[in-house]
Amino acid sequence: MKSRSLTFRNGKIAWGLLSPMLLILFIVGVLPFIYVLYLGFCQWNVFAQVSKIKWVWGANYRRLVFDSDFLSALGRGIKFTLWTVSIEMVLGFLLAQLFMKPFRGKNFFRAIYSLPLTVAPIAIGATWRLMTIPGFGIIPYLFSKLGFDYNIAYKANQAFFSTVALDVWHWTPFVTLTLLAGLTALPKEPFEQAQIDGASNWQMLWYITLPLLYPVLTTTLFIRIMDALRIVDEVWMLTGGGPGTATRYVGIHIWREVFPKTDYGYGAAMSTLVLYFTIVLSWLLFTIITYREERKE
Amino acid sequence: MSKKVGIVWFTILAVLFSASFLVSPVSAQQTSWWAKAAEPYKGIVITGISESTPPSKYMQEVLAPAFEKETGIKVKFETTSWDEMYDKEIKDMEAGTGVYDFVYIEQDIVYAYLARNFLVNLSSFMKENPNLVYPDLDLGDFTSFINYYKDSKGDLFGLPFESFLKLYVYRKDLFNDPKIKAEFKAKYGWNLRPAKTFKEYEQIAEFFTDYGKRNNIPLWGTTVQAGAHPAAFYEMVETIWPSWGIYNWGINLQNYHATSANGGKLDSARAKEAFRWWVNLLKYAPPESRASTWDEVAATMAAGRAAQGWVYGENIAWIATDSTRSKVVGKIGVELPPLYPGVLQEAKEGKGYIGYYDGGALGIPHSSKKKEAAFLFMQWVTRKDFQGDFAAKAARIVRKSTFSDPKVKALDPKVDHYFTKMQKYGDLFAGAPPFPFHATIREVMLPYILKGIAGEMTPEEALDKAAIAVDAELKNEGYIK
Repeated sequence: MKSRSLTFRNGKIAWGLLSPMLLILFIVGVLPFIYVLYLGFCQWNVFAQVSKIKWVWGANYRRLVFDSDFLSALGRGIKFTLWTVSIEMVLGFLLAQLFMKPFRGKNFFRAIYSLPLTVAPIAIGATWRLMTIPGFGIIPYLFSKLGFDYNIAYKANQAFFSTVALDVWHWTPFVTLTLLAGLTALPKEPFEQAQIDGASNWQMLWYITLPLLYPVLTTTLFIRIMDALRIVDEVWMLTGGGPGTATRYVGIHIWREVFPKTDYGYGAAMSTLVLYFTIVLSWLLFTIITYREERKE
Repeated sequence: MSKKVGIVWFTILAVLFSASFLVSPVSAQQTSWWAKAAEPYKGIVITGISESTPPSKYMQEVLAPAFEKETGIKVKFETTSWDEMYDKEIKDMEAGTGVYDFVYIEQDIVYAYLARNFLVNLSSFMKENPNLVYPDLDLGDFTSFINYYKDSKGDLFGLPFESFLKLYVYRKDLFNDPKIKAEFKAKYGWNLRPAKTFKEYEQIAEFFTDYGKRNNIPLWGTTVQAGAHPAAFYEMVETIWPSWGIYNWGINLQNYHATSANGGKLDSARAKEAFRWWVNLLKYAPPESRASTWDEVAATMAAGRAAQGWVYGENIAWIATDSTRSKVVGKIGVELPPLYPGVLQEAKEGKGYIGYYDGGALGIPHSSKKKEAAFLFMQWVTRKDFQGDFAAKAARIVRKSTFSDPKVKALDPKVDHYFTKMQKYGDLFAGAPPFPFHATIREVMLPYILKGIAGEMTPEEALDKAAIAVDAELKNEGYIK
């Protein structure tokens, strides 16, 4: 009886302590999300003839699936995500492995390497823009010395890969640091055992490191996928979505629809659909990875 | 000896001190009016937002501190990027939060703000608060640009603080160089001078691009404002098309249709020809042109990298006179843009216009809780006696009397008589069309303009699709029945 009462009291205290944070989360997270869901079923452009919010059921979603501009932007966003996340995961893992080994100046290099994470994305975009601006930037200048015409305001492929390079430069340290934390926490015994059994480095990596690191790897992968799919600020600063629409990824497309165009209803529907798409993509990836692991077991 | 010097100094100081009262009796009187009118609002803070442009910076750095000193009203003046400014002020006015007490109203957005009833009717406000109206406000002294801020009944909703033309700017030194002139004549058969037709413009652009290459100097034939930014759209619809006789973005003002089949001109043969001509100019433009907004175009011209181009007037003064920022001081010429046959006549008859008359005003959102203090500040920045310095620093004029200000008169020859041309030809130019859906349709047309620039679509295909998209959007927004 005494212990039940204590548990009840403890529970009350716990909820009491949590309630301010839950309230804040509800106000800044849950309520706006519900509002966006609601707006997705409404027509609302503040500069329309009738600027009041009008419930239109699924009209926005029906329009979306035939909207070639939105679908192209989504396609470009997926392509960008595939490129950036693949490179970041591989590069991040290799660098994490490197940081596991002792070498001179390791701490200094690790600190320098992590610096991009501390810089605001908009500042990174602006810095890269200064470096790449045609006619004035250091990168076009250096390329011109090699006889290569680099102009991200003109050449779509160069613009695309410049945005990929920017994202890789910005976010690979994040992947490295999370994987490094995972690697540091791995138990030593399986590796010692494998060494005794004469396993090669490749076999240790494939059969011990990667399976043990699996939870950290999947978490990092999902975080990066979600981040890359909704990228706006860096790319906006670097290319403005151009040339043409070559780097108008889905985040930029939604931003232009919602803010400059003030089409809040349609923009909300786009955001909801992209969120749904991200959840489905993550779930699919998770299912595939889990299925593979279950089959192995 | 030192006693004599002391007496001389004392006499000079005494004379100067007395003279300061004698020469500025009006200032002393005005000072007392501002302080008296602001007395009930002393100590409060008014917040405003504007685009980070030379005129806004001048208000922020010079006029606002002087106002604070004079009235005791504190001014929190935010200057930011063009996109962010709109985003913030529209959200504030839409939600009625009252963050801003005065907002920048660019001429092109005023119709949208009026349609949404965002702004305080200043005519009514002045009637209701006669004690807050500066005796020398003199609305009749404002240029015709103020009319853009009136509704159909003639009521005023904004006080203009900047207006300027987007003119054809060229390198006088290059155009007048005898060797270059001879080379040009030998190649094209006519005397080099500012272009009057589009063919001439293109030939000049081709010539100077080739000249730059041959002489290994960073010089190209023209600027083009073709970055992946709304600036590209604006250069096309407000500068290029009007000079080709395509007005109001190619949208029919009566029925709001853009397609030729329904009375619009966006997909007309001439609109397509003009678009193709402009995109073609990129061959003769420096590499940064495809990343250029209005600011970069000015920077390109100031760096001496283009022989000619279209430049917003707010930048002309510093390009022509400020040697700390410009390499072409004293080398800038200003002219009317090249025109399609008949366009000048249409503009004179009021049936069209030859280019863009840009500018902005300050207005008060309904949501402001400090309207009175904001109104005082708006009048302060448009004070007649401030306008000479303001024009000299930021090349903008909103009052007729400013054209005869000694500072403007002195500056005028240095900017190739830009101010005289503004006064003389201002009425041939026009602001943006009276669309309440300005931003919405810009966002619909922009991707097509950018696709045309990037070569994702041909200019013709881009305009065909843009016209259909505009009609569809305006139908969706309820403007086309």
